Amino acid sequence: MLTEELLCCVLDIGEQMLVSGAEINRVEDSIKRICQAYNAKRVDVFTITSSIVVTLQREDGCTFTQTRRIYKYSTNLDKVDKLNNLSRYICSYTPEANYIKNQLIEINERKTYSPLVQYIVYALIAGVFTVFFGGGLRDALVSSIIAVFLKLSISLSQKVDTNILFVNIICSFVIGILAILSVSIGIGESIDKIIIGNIMLMIPGIALTNSIRDIIRGDTISGLFRLCEAIVIALSIAIGFGIASIFFGGIIK
Amino acid sequence: MIYTIQIIMAFLGSLGFSILFNIRGRKLWYAAIGGMLSWVIYLLLDFWLTSEISRFFISTMIVTIYSEILARIEKTPTTTFLTSSVIPLIPGRSLYYTMSYAVNGDLDKFVSSGGQTVGLSASIAAGIMAGSSLFKVFIVIQQKLKG
Repeated sequence: MLTEELLCCVLDIGEQMLVSGAEINRVEDSIKRICQAYNAKRVDVFTITSSIVVTLQREDGCTFTQTRRIYKYSTNLDKVDKLNNLSRYICSYTPEANYIKNQLIEINERKTYSPLVQYIVYALIAGVFTVFFGGGLRDALVSSIIAVFLKLSISLSQKVDTNILFVNIICSFVIGILAILSVSIGIGESIDKIIIGNIMLMIPGIALTNSIRDIIRGDTISGLFRLCEAIVIALSIAIGFGIASIFFGGIIK
Repeated sequence: MIYTIQIIMAFLGSLGFSILFNIRGRKLWYAAIGGMLSWVIYLLLDFWLTSEISRFFISTMIVTIYSEILARIEKTPTTTFLTSSVIPLIPGRSLYYTMSYAVNGDLDKFVSSGGQTVGLSASIAAGIMAGSSLFKVFIVIQQKLKG
């Protein structure tokens, strides 16, 4: 039976999916299918990157509407996978709201990789992409070390202020200064390559690609939303590097 | 030699991002292999095509089909494999140069480099769309043949 409580659970699933990096399309589709599995007469789902609105009409003519506002995303594809399985299960067995709640709690408690692993991975990615884009081994090493500082400054600056602009400016500033310093001391060889390796960790390349994908598919509003977000992130990174190179760039020349 | 290194790096880079995206178990390796595959295809296309954008397009298309097939086998959303598989193609370098030209006030280079970045992203996006549409066509044909 479709109740307000159940709709709330369904929206929880949708919200978690969107936050963890599922496509708009998939979120809308999952919500719609679940509601239809519970014999809704009519379901209208509207999802953009920052909000989900669902209105559904029950067979007895009663209508509900619920909305979710989404502020923050963090990509977690394992969660998307599990939520997807859950929504499939719900579609075929239509369990009670309590069951869904328990499952959601269980999914939320699934662990992510530990901070130590994340630091190592940051270092790995930065080093790898420095070499990938043509840097030498020394550059890769420097770039890996800077990536550790990058991760550190991301987590520190997020504690002070969660504004994405602020975090990005601080972090790219830190990368810029460390890269310039390393070259001026003589450990690193090429500033460009060191920075590119690190920038792969911050750059909104995936956001840019996804936004264009959304636009092509027809989710124009979400696409434009993400495109603007990607441009703002790219700008803020550029500002951080700009400050670093204006004030400290003279050291090398 | 440089290509071998690049291919290995593409694998490691995709693996790293897959860990950051919290992919677990066997899927982690599939995602990393997808990243390697995308770069291998990109390099192989060099024999045949000169245009960077079309190489990106075809490479993404093939990798999308790879992810779709694996997603069916592993019963998981395609995004799981796709996001990490296109990582080596993400135009990080040209985005960086675009930004650095903007900071240095080199307007001409900024415009051309910015255009290239958007073009590459668009070709990746178009490749994903084309790949998944093609896969849907395959599925429909397969079902018709069975039914």
